[in-house]
Amino acid sequence: MRRIRLVAPILAFALIVAACTDDDGGGEGSPTAAGSPAGENTGTVNVLSAVEPEENEVLQNIADATINQEQSDYTVEFEQSGNFEEQVQIRSQGGTLDVILLPQPGTVVQQAQSGNAIALEDMGFDIAELESTFGEYFMSLGEFEGKHYGIPSNVNLKSMVWYPKDDFDKAGYEIPTTWDELTALSDQIKADGGTPWCVGYQSEGSTGWPATDWMEDIMLATAGQDTYTQWIDHEIPFNDPAVVNAGELFGDVMFGQGNVLGGAENTPSVAFGDAPLPMFDDPPGCWLHRQASFITAFFPENAEAGVDYDWFPFPSIDQQGTLFAGEMMVTFRDAPETRDFLTRFMGEEVQCAMGEEPGSSRISPNVNVESTCYPNPILAGASEVLSTALAGEGEAGFDASDQMPPEVGSGSFWTGMVQYMRDGQDSLQSVLDEIESSWPA
Amino acid sequence: MSSSATDPDAGLPAQTSKAGAALWLSVLRIAGALAIPVVAFFAMWATFDFLRSEDANRVIVVVVAVVVGVFGVFFLYWGMNKAVDLLPFRYREGVRPWIFVGPCLVILSVFLVYPVINTILISLKDAFGQEFVGLDNYRFVFSDDSMLRSIRNTLGWIVIVPLFATVIGLVYATLADKLRRGEAVAKSLIFLPLAISFVGASVTWKLIYSFRPAGFGSNIGLLNGVMQGLGQDPVAWIQLRPWNNLFLMVIMIWMQVGFAMVVLSAAIKSVPDEIVEAARIDGASEWQVFRRILIPSILPTIVVVVTYMVINAMKVFDIVFVFGNAEADETEVIAERMLRWFFISANQGRGAAIAVVLFVAIIPVMIWNIRRFREEESIR
Repeated sequence: MRRIRLVAPILAFALIVAACTDDDGGGEGSPTAAGSPAGENTGTVNVLSAVEPEENEVLQNIADATINQEQSDYTVEFEQSGNFEEQVQIRSQGGTLDVILLPQPGTVVQQAQSGNAIALEDMGFDIAELESTFGEYFMSLGEFEGKHYGIPSNVNLKSMVWYPKDDFDKAGYEIPTTWDELTALSDQIKADGGTPWCVGYQSEGSTGWPATDWMEDIMLATAGQDTYTQWIDHEIPFNDPAVVNAGELFGDVMFGQGNVLGGAENTPSVAFGDAPLPMFDDPPGCWLHRQASFITAFFPENAEAGVDYDWFPFPSIDQQGTLFAGEMMVTFRDAPETRDFLTRFMGEEVQCAMGEEPGSSRISPNVNVESTCYPNPILAGASEVLSTALAGEGEAGFDASDQMPPEVGSGSFWTGMVQYMRDGQDSLQSVLDEIESSWPA
Repeated sequence: MSSSATDPDAGLPAQTSKAGAALWLSVLRIAGALAIPVVAFFAMWATFDFLRSEDANRVIVVVVAVVVGVFGVFFLYWGMNKAVDLLPFRYREGVRPWIFVGPCLVILSVFLVYPVINTILISLKDAFGQEFVGLDNYRFVFSDDSMLRSIRNTLGWIVIVPLFATVIGLVYATLADKLRRGEAVAKSLIFLPLAISFVGASVTWKLIYSFRPAGFGSNIGLLNGVMQGLGQDPVAWIQLRPWNNLFLMVIMIWMQVGFAMVVLSAAIKSVPDEIVEAARIDGASEWQVFRRILIPSILPTIVVVVTYMVINAMKVFDIVFVFGNAEADETEVIAERMLRWFFISANQGRGAAIAVVLFVAIIPVMIWNIRRFREEESIR
């Protein structure tokens, strides 16, 4: 009798727990998908990205106006993180990721390699159709062991040089199309008492990346696409004469007396988003700024495209190069709602809506999206250059640092460029040697 | 075997049953140790499922969480304790301690011992944690320039931060103790930074160290404001190698002084007034009182504070990470390298090897701390 009384509380507790579990399981009553155990509709598609909070808001607005309104099976939630890389690493291992927007195709392959990402083939997508939509080159960047893992979701033109249009026209400057014309222009600006370039490489833990874009633009325009691809694949060393040549030309711009506002050695202290701002001073603190199409988000709010500023393609050196970067969607949970989301999101309707969304500087990698989708003339122009380059061959080159192994592309390349800026043109060879030695075996 | 001492029935004829009893005792001990974590695990699983359900009333969710979390665990221990009472007398006291210590041991081994062993294993493998590569990762840790710099810098952090934070905290605590009025206010001021997160503090200090080169507008940084006020050119503080390491350490010192001050102040207050007064009557100067009476009396507390800070400084990461490209600025520290290699460069082997090095480096500090603690205990 006494024993029963003692055991009673434990039993009672166990019963309560059991009762709770039963209630919960019965109450939900959601049908478990028979075909795929992981394919249960959770009602949400979470999209994690590294975009700025403002851009995340734009994405959410677009999704709310389109996908979230067109169907009621699930809700799309965009989420951005300042420490995206770490978040992806943690959550992919924890199995709590739906779709991510990866800004670096190198990491698409890495996610595929780790076995967490799901191949498009396995989700039933038609690769040939995707290739005609985004171009074979772009699709091939997300390929691993014969399967594709990434759907391009955004693209930005990197070979862009911005200038203060009104002042530029007033001063009677001409848009340069070749390297020699560019050099002549910057000499003329200096002769007129101005400073040609505004440059800033500061970006928290990623400080140095804008400098790698410069190097890549020059590599593409000097060595050509084949050598450029060999450089990415490490078929030529990082300190190859072709790279040294590009580094010298880059140094000529950076270290030339009076070429860069504040001096090259201070460029690692200037936030990349603040860098173009002196261009809008009166008179302009600088006249040229090389940066990708997203930079307009950092321009002063009252600056008007086509009046206060405009852009021209990075001049050709030995040939014309079109450097671009972009973002690819990678899926970690194969379910009807994630598949539906991918299909809708890459479609022309949503992509065109994205171009029309005010405050969005995203450009669709879908070559079928007309440039008329962009009320903004800057984006429309960039979209035209990109669609031509993506659909064709030879001209386009995807951001090299994004494709190199992360030890280099998100590490020693950035760091090396900062050291180059600080230690001067003579340090080029040792900087490139050091990056070469950091390449993983 | 300790049970045999308390077992009055143990006799010669029961030789075989004694071995059986020992076996039973071990089984019961293990079962007792496992029971609570296992039951708690399933109870939590069920509760967690319930707590996750979004339609559930929030109030009920909170009540369930509190009831299960507090009373559930209490009932588990209480029930297990009662269950032990049901055992035959000779087993009881042999099993009872295991009911209470066991769950802790089980949880520790699952959440601490297993990850440590796993980390050591990963540190011997390649970037993807797939193939064994021997000691390659450790060779990298002790040969890579950046890694060596991070070890140098971390050594700087564990010497400079505890030294300055403790000394400033001690001086401040001593002086504040002498205040007739406003001691609480004076202490709160120093204590405030401790309430900010490391990242928050770093962002604040980023503004203090802010630098803009000529042409990019006026300098908004406090330090450069002072420099310009003195007619000097602004300085890019965070690019100033190797001094930038010191500038970053200042942030941690700023944050930790409050902790040192509060703990030491409490210790100072517990020094008996009689001793201090006796010394003063004997003609000791204030400095002598401080040096000969106060410091020796609170030495154990100082040791605890220093140890805490050494361990904190070893693990510093946030401050360095927020301030930019550590490799280019040469401000790397071990914990920052670990994150960089493990997550950004996605090299699990190297990341784990760095983690193991950091872990091994902390062990002597812990052992020293435990030893001191034991000595203190034995004196009492």
